[in-house]
Amino acid sequence: MKKIYLVAAFSLAAASLLLPQDDIKITGKVITPPGAAAPKGLPPAGPKGPVPHMPDGKPDLSGIWNGQRALPNQEPPVMLPWAEKLTAERTNNYSADDPEARCLPGGVPRAAPYHYQLVQTPKLLLMLFEGNIHSYRQIFLDRREHLKITEPLWYGDSIGSWSGEGEGTALVVDTVGFNDKFWFDMAGHPHTTQLHVIERYHRRDFGNLDIGVTIEDPGTYSKPWTIQRVSTLETEIEMSEYVCNENNSDVLHLVGK
Amino acid sequence: MIRPIVLLACAAAALVAQGVPDLSGVWIVRGSANLPDDLPYRPEALKLWQARKANLSKDDPAAYCLPNGVVRVTSLPYKIVQTPQLLVLLSEGNTHSFRRFFLDGRAHNLDLEPNSWTGDSSGKWEGTTLVVDTIGFNDRSWLDDTGKPHSDQLHVIERYRRSDAGSLEVQYTLEDPKFLTRPYSFTRTFVPANREIQERFCTEQNHLVAK
Repeated sequence: MKKIYLVAAFSLAAASLLLPQDDIKITGKVITPPGAAAPKGLPPAGPKGPVPHMPDGKPDLSGIWNGQRALPNQEPPVMLPWAEKLTAERTNNYSADDPEARCLPGGVPRAAPYHYQLVQTPKLLLMLFEGNIHSYRQIFLDRREHLKITEPLWYGDSIGSWSGEGEGTALVVDTVGFNDKFWFDMAGHPHTTQLHVIERYHRRDFGNLDIGVTIEDPGTYSKPWTIQRVSTLETEIEMSEYVCNENNSDVLHLVGK
Repeated sequence: MIRPIVLLACAAAALVAQGVPDLSGVWIVRGSANLPDDLPYRPEALKLWQARKANLSKDDPAAYCLPNGVVRVTSLPYKIVQTPQLLVLLSEGNTHSFRRFFLDGRAHNLDLEPNSWTGDSSGKWEGTTLVVDTIGFNDRSWLDDTGKPHSDQLHVIERYRRSDAGSLEVQYTLEDPKFLTRPYSFTRTFVPANREIQERFCTEQNHLVAK
């Protein structure tokens, strides 16, 4: 079942893109993404309580989490000229060519507004996505070296290892082997196959997951781009079966200029 | 790559730890993925199946990158990730999606999704067999590649058993009072795929899906 109300919300957001006051400019190195304005405050905190642990003593990240939300007041990315130009073109064209709207994977580290479930075993962390496509990502905890990737991937090859001690213990996920097809966000921030993403997942307490993302791609960004996000634990609602290809009404509206 | 010998070692270790068999691994169906052709269909259901065959499966949901549902499987690998509370069945093929079997004793809850492609699945151990009960289906998925239909009254009971070290046997029982005159059972055997599942997205390169 497709979540109609979310589609409606996005339609409203998309409609707001068309308003003339949403002036889209290249302002130095900063692109103002329409409909994806920087958050003005922190999202409401998740439920309090102690961090659950696995039998081996590692933090247990398992649970249904609300979509990752960026914290306010973050440094914008510093792009190479081609990337700045392309992002501006994509933004100005109302994100008409966004692969995500065509039911293709969001890739890494694109944040979807939908729930995702983490399922942790000693050897594997699974990410099950409610949407945009109802698919999954595997993070391997049982190997230290990346596979040799011959065919670039939407979700890359992810390996995770534990860092820090006690309450500071976090899972550091290192991912390479990406294709260059997906966008990082609705603004259309691009990347090359040189992309290397490092994510740091720290379950601060029972209901709050702090996520630090570092994007390294010397083909696109002149210095690493870091983003701080948070997910809160969803304790009321199960994940639904979001089937993007069912009744995908977005495509008809993605006409660009 | 997961070799059978490694699977065996892992299974043995986990069995000791949890007291239940470990179904984890990457599995592939042995033989045909299709059902036998002797389902006890009511005339209306039989007519629908014959119509699908006659028009050469032109309305096959899988051709539009829509989910296979529960009973229909592909000949590509599936991966089982098992925890005490939840078992996840990852699919490489079709929509590269997943099913979840809740093992925490919860009752079926169809409030959120009364009619979905994969339904609501709860599992419990009966000895060394995992019995998975699924309801809450839509009537759009096909039971196999030949277009065998089911109604929204479908109720599926799957019995997962490690029949021996190198195989996973799944017995399916289908109850569908609207389409079947009586419950129908058949069995599939899955064997180790001897490789990790790979990324495969139906929507990419599929001309039937809007680009």
